[in-house]
Amino acid sequence: MTVTLRINGSACRFHGDPMTPLVDVLRRERFLTGTKAVCREGFCGACTVEVDGEAVMSCLRPIGLLDGATVKSIEALAPGDTALHPLQAAFEAADVVQCGMCFPGMVMSLAPFLRENPDAGRNEIKAAMVGNICRCTGYERIVDAVMNFLDSQKMEQANG
Amino acid sequence: MVDVSSTVMDLPRRDARDKLRGRTRYTNDRARPDTLHAVLLRSTVPAGRITRLDVSAALECPGVHAIVTGADAPGLHGIGIADHPLFATDTIRYHGEPIACIAAETEAEAKAALAAIVLDVEPLNPVLTMAEALAPGAPLIHEDWRAYEVLTEGGARDGNIAWEAKSVRGDVDAAFARSDVTIVESSIAVGRQSHVPFEPRVAIGSWENGRAHIETSTQVPWTVRNVTGRVLQLPPGRVRVTVPPVGGGFGLKFDATIEPITALLARMTGRSVILENSRQEEMATCLCRENAEIRIRSAVTAEGEIVGREAVVLMDCGAYGGEQVFLTTMTSHTLGGSYRLGAVRLVSRAVYTNTPPNGAFRACNGVYNSFALERHTDEICAAIGMDPIEFRKRNVLGNGDLGPTGQVFEGDVLGPMLERMDTLRANTGTLEHAADGRLYGRATALGTWFIFVGPSAATINLNADGSATLVTSGVEIGSGTMMQSLPQIVAGQLGLHPDQIVVREADTDAAGLDAGIGGGRTTVSIGAASVGAAAEVREKLLRTAGEMLQTAPKDLVLRDGRVEISGRPGSGAAISTVVAHAQATTGPISGTGSFTAKNTPAMAGCAMGHFIDALDIPVFVVHEAEVAVDPDTGHVDVLAYRVVQDVGRALNPRAIMGQIQGGVVQGLGYALHEEVTITGDGRIAQDGFETYRVPLAQDVVPVVADLYEGAPSMGPLGTKGAGEVPILAVGSAIACAVSNAIGKPVYRLPLTPPRVLRLIHDIEPRPDYPHIAPNWTDNTLR
Ligand code: FES
Ligand code: FES
Repeated sequence: MTVTLRINGSACRFHGDPMTPLVDVLRRERFLTGTKAVCREGFCGACTVEVDGEAVMSCLRPIGLLDGATVKSIEALAPGDTALHPLQAAFEAADVVQCGMCFPGMVMSLAPFLRENPDAGRNEIKAAMVGNICRCTGYERIVDAVMNFLDSQKMEQANG
Repeated sequence: MVDVSSTVMDLPRRDARDKLRGRTRYTNDRARPDTLHAVLLRSTVPAGRITRLDVSAALECPGVHAIVTGADAPGLHGIGIADHPLFATDTIRYHGEPIACIAAETEAEAKAALAAIVLDVEPLNPVLTMAEALAPGAPLIHEDWRAYEVLTEGGARDGNIAWEAKSVRGDVDAAFARSDVTIVESSIAVGRQSHVPFEPRVAIGSWENGRAHIETSTQVPWTVRNVTGRVLQLPPGRVRVTVPPVGGGFGLKFDATIEPITALLARMTGRSVILENSRQEEMATCLCRENAEIRIRSAVTAEGEIVGREAVVLMDCGAYGGEQVFLTTMTSHTLGGSYRLGAVRLVSRAVYTNTPPNGAFRACNGVYNSFALERHTDEICAAIGMDPIEFRKRNVLGNGDLGPTGQVFEGDVLGPMLERMDTLRANTGTLEHAADGRLYGRATALGTWFIFVGPSAATINLNADGSATLVTSGVEIGSGTMMQSLPQIVAGQLGLHPDQIVVREADTDAAGLDAGIGGGRTTVSIGAASVGAAAEVREKLLRTAGEMLQTAPKDLVLRDGRVEISGRPGSGAAISTVVAHAQATTGPISGTGSFTAKNTPAMAGCAMGHFIDALDIPVFVVHEAEVAVDPDTGHVDVLAYRVVQDVGRALNPRAIMGQIQGGVVQGLGYALHEEVTITGDGRIAQDGFETYRVPLAQDVVPVVADLYEGAPSMGPLGTKGAGEVPILAVGSAIACAVSNAIGKPVYRLPLTPPRVLRLIHDIEPRPDYPHIAPNWTDNTLR
């Protein structure tokens, strides 16, 4: 079967088993290894990408269902030499990254959530993170950084 | 001169950006289109004899390039004793043990070819528990145990006892016979804990110019090099190991495992070969924190003096000895540590079973020995009617006190740390009101662990642009040491900014021997070697500058990238100018440094079968937990968590706080819900994220921590490793707090809701150890 889709802005044609999960197409065919396949069962969130603007776990998404879709992976969030996305910058500034393997997925799932919930509080952020496991950090400092990010977004808006 | 004033503090991590952008290439991101994929054939029985293994049909399958079996790798490896083959050959000793490995063009082709391997196995009765392994007449898991090469002398061994270590100080029988003592006995049991690093064990082998090159996700490049040499029967110098950024280790990657297989397949095929555990394989063969059984007894006076203590600890090493052989040593230092003891005798046995081998996990057996010790301590307090914090303040080890092996401890550390916990609690307040009708409990627990020192080497090359390249065998496993402490320390020594220090990734062809990344040793051991290398560089730099500036080297200082005449800022010359001058006159400037353990003395004859007789750098923690227990469901809610941690000196307080939060949360998982059980056919039952429950964001609380500085340390700038110990006392603090909440003793972890309910209703069976003899001496081999 042939599937045509856009990945990070470029047209892409996939030939092969339509049951191949998107994460394998990204990693093995496109060498977009920022998307991590950690559990392959929909528990950890490390494989999160945006499909048509929505955060999805790419390990659970067969490529056969994605004909005509637009996929954005972590590599496209702040491409080339451009500045980090402000959420990435907040994580960097707070020194929260450890092994780092969960962070691409963490960023890809929190960025759309925070876009839609700019007033989220600590508990809502933690609730939004249930699908993103981190084995290294113990979460709290990630939440601190997210709160910093939301505060600075609000400041920016207030300053117009 | 080691001066902290010139060291930049709270350095940001240079690897954060690429990690956040998804650009960092971990080992499992490095398969290229021409890389072959390898898949293992693993045993599906826990014990058996291989009567036939024929791979010829599988070799004919599409895409298959090569298949290796035990016949290709006859050597044995291990810690203390060489008992571990790369593949099961005649005997299968655990469910999941590798038997053969297929390399093919794609993973799918390799998997498809597995079915074509002809394997006949005659199953044997497995020995799944330590009780079974120690029963009289139990089948021997290693029939040839006597013939194994002994790599470290001194341990007693017998049949299913892979290794026994013990320590004896003073007359314990006399202490227990005193008429003025209360005798308290506790029996404790813990299961295994699985690391779940996000990157599983994975390696890529290549064969280059007659040598193996293994790129791997490991904490121990030199162990991988040496083990590969042993099992392939090659001189280890023909193996090169390089290590990309590692996606989490936590001790799991402190042993060589699948790496040598990739080298074998690469040699056979002439191609690069990647072998990566699937998540299921990773968890089913995880080198877990071991399950253990402990009996501890103490003789205590009414005033709370511990005049005698004895304990027996059984550690399940699984099918092969591995780290547990070494860790038998740590029983003495943890169970016999922390408190002043009159007479003490402790024995620790690593016991073979037909289960997946165990290994090292952050603070290792320290975690459950602390749990046993602290629950036992609270039981002592209950028996003699003394306040638990008061008892601890009276009895913790202080300056000049003797440890279990007769080591003399330096400095008062635990005592002041307990005081600091009082202050911390006063500052934060307590959260009893938040229990909101549930059962509330609070407990303070402490623990002793150590910095695993051992050999490290470092080279520094000073470059003409004023930058310096630091070459070590260090690996960045996520803790940030390679990104923060090392460049900070070197920059501070050379008057440079940390950004000017290039840190080379581990490559055994480039850097000298190293004991590995773990045990909190990186900052201390590699840091000390780096300070040594910097001293040589500095000396050469000042000598050259002295000639250029016509000034005695002793009157020169390194500051802000310049060699200045002391007391005259801005004088002298840029370091880059001096380096260029040296390159043209005496040659490039470089320096080397090395470090190893100082072998702190113990009392003669106290420690038997120990790998280390005394702790060169002890590390202490004091933890406090507040919990609320729902009496209807048994659910434990952690309300607050406080830590006072001995860090020696904190170069990166912010990063240490990150390690403490992360380590405590792993400990909460261990204490409350991370449970590994062994099925009737010897499998680890929890082999995925669905069945093994790691903490999620909503399970955790912010840990409040106070970093205790100033305790003695031989580490550079007085540092101690800070990443290992945050997990040390979590099991104990939570268990003691839950016990206080429900008013019942707690003997087992994890405290899952059903277990807590059983405890509340007095139907949780107490650990009962018929295989531990009542008389301590009967539990020892000689
Ligand atoms: S890999 Fe997709 S959720 Fe874990
Ligand atoms: S930083 Fe390692 S899993 Fe999150």
